[in-house]
Amino acid sequence: MNAHELIESYVADVAARLPRRQRNDVAFELRSLLNEELQGRAADSGREADPAMALEILQSFGRPADVAARYQPTLTIIDPVDGRPFLRLSTIGLVVIWSVGLLAYLWQPVASGGNIIGALSQWWGRVVVQSLWWPGVLVTSYGLATAARRRRPQAEVWTAKSVDRDQVNRGALSLGVVGIVCGSFALVRPSAILDIFWGGRAAQVATDALTYTEAFRHGAAPWMLALLFLNAPLLAAVVVKGRWSRTLRRLETLHGLVTSAVLTWGVLAGPVFMAPSSDRPMRFAMAVTVVWLLGDMVVRRFRGVRPAPSVAGGYGGTAASDG
Amino acid sequence: MADTDAFNKLELELRRGVVVLATLSQLRTPRYGYELRQALADKGMPIEEGTLYPLLRRLETQGLLKSEWKIEDGPPRRYYALNADGRKLLKRLTASWQGMNDAMGRLLDEE
Repeated sequence: MNAHELIESYVADVAARLPRRQRNDVAFELRSLLNEELQGRAADSGREADPAMALEILQSFGRPADVAARYQPTLTIIDPVDGRPFLRLSTIGLVVIWSVGLLAYLWQPVASGGNIIGALSQWWGRVVVQSLWWPGVLVTSYGLATAARRRRPQAEVWTAKSVDRDQVNRGALSLGVVGIVCGSFALVRPSAILDIFWGGRAAQVATDALTYTEAFRHGAAPWMLALLFLNAPLLAAVVVKGRWSRTLRRLETLHGLVTSAVLTWGVLAGPVFMAPSSDRPMRFAMAVTVVWLLGDMVVRRFRGVRPAPSVAGGYGGTAASDG
Repeated sequence: MADTDAFNKLELELRRGVVVLATLSQLRTPRYGYELRQALADKGMPIEEGTLYPLLRRLETQGLLKSEWKIEDGPPRRYYALNADGRKLLKRLTASWQGMNDAMGRLLDEE
C-alpha cells in the first residue's frame, strides 16, 4: 500500500464506527487533515511522503475505535463510582452460583461413587455457562441506576443513617423467636403439616415425601434440631438486651460455624427424605443455607468499619523519617 | 521509573484540563484543523491530532462552534470558529482560568 492508500484504509476504519449522519463528512475532513499532516511531516523532514511516514502518523493518531469514540460524547453504561461494587457483586454472585451448583451436581456422584467427570461436565454446561445471566442482570441494574442518577441528581443527596448496627428491632426479633420455635416443631415431623391441612387423608406418596430417612433421623437431624432450638435463647437474650453485645455476636458466630458444619454433614451423609423428589430440593436448600451463613460471616467480617490509625502510614512514616 | 510514570499521568491530567480552553482561545477567527494544531503548537501548546480533530466536532455538537467547508488555496477544508455561545463560554472560562492561575501562583510561591 502506498501512503494515500494507508490513509484511505484508516479513514474507512474510523468512519465505519461513526453514526451514519456524520460518517461521510467526518471521513472527508479526516482524510484531508491526515493528508495535510503527511505533507507537513514530509516538508519538515525534507523528503517525499512515503508509507512508513504515513503509518507513523496513523499509529500516533490512535486506534480507529478510540478515534471514533472521541468524535462522540462519552457514553457511560455503568457509573465509575459503581465500577468496584459491580465487580465485587459479580464475583461474589458467580462464586456462590458456581459453588452451590458444584455441590448440587457433585454430591450424588461423590456419595455413590458415580461419574464425577460427567457431573462436572453437566455443572459446566448447566451452571457455569448459564450463570452469565447474573453479570447481565447487574449491568442492566447499574445501567438503570446510572441513568436515573443523571436524570435526577438531587435524589442522590446523602442523608444520615444510624451507624449502630448492633441495635435491634425488639418486636421483629421477638416474632423471629416465635417463628423459630414454631418452625422447629414443624421440622421435627414435617408430615404433620399434611395432617393439619388434609386431616390425615393425604396421599401416601406425599407423606413419604416429607418423612425423614432413618439414617438422617439418627445422624445429623438431632444436632440440627438442637442448634435450631439454641437460636431461640440467643435471640431472646438479644431482645432482652435490646442490642447485640460483643459476647452475643461471638456466640452467634460460633453457632453459625457449628450449624454450617452440621448442615454440611447432613447434606453429604446421604438422603434426608425418603422420596428423592423432596430429598434433592431439601439438600439443595441446606447447601444454600451453608453458603448463606458463611457468606454472611465473611461479609460482616470484612465490611465492618472500626476507625483506627494505620500502623505503617506513609504520611506518619515519612514525617518520622524526615525528622 | 514510578516517579516518571506518576509525572506523566499527572501532567497528562493537567493538559487535559486546559485543552478545551486552549482550543477555544484560538478559534476567535476561523481556522481549519491542521492550521489550528500548528497555531497551538507554535504557541507552546502542542495537542495530539487524534485528540484535537475529534474535539472540534464535539465542541460543534455542543453548540459552541460553527463550521463551514471552504475552498481557498488548496483542497476543501472545514473551518471552525466560535459562535456567540462559544465566545461567552470562552470569556467565562478565561476568567476562571485566570483566577485559578493566580491562586496557583500564590500557592506555589509559598515555597
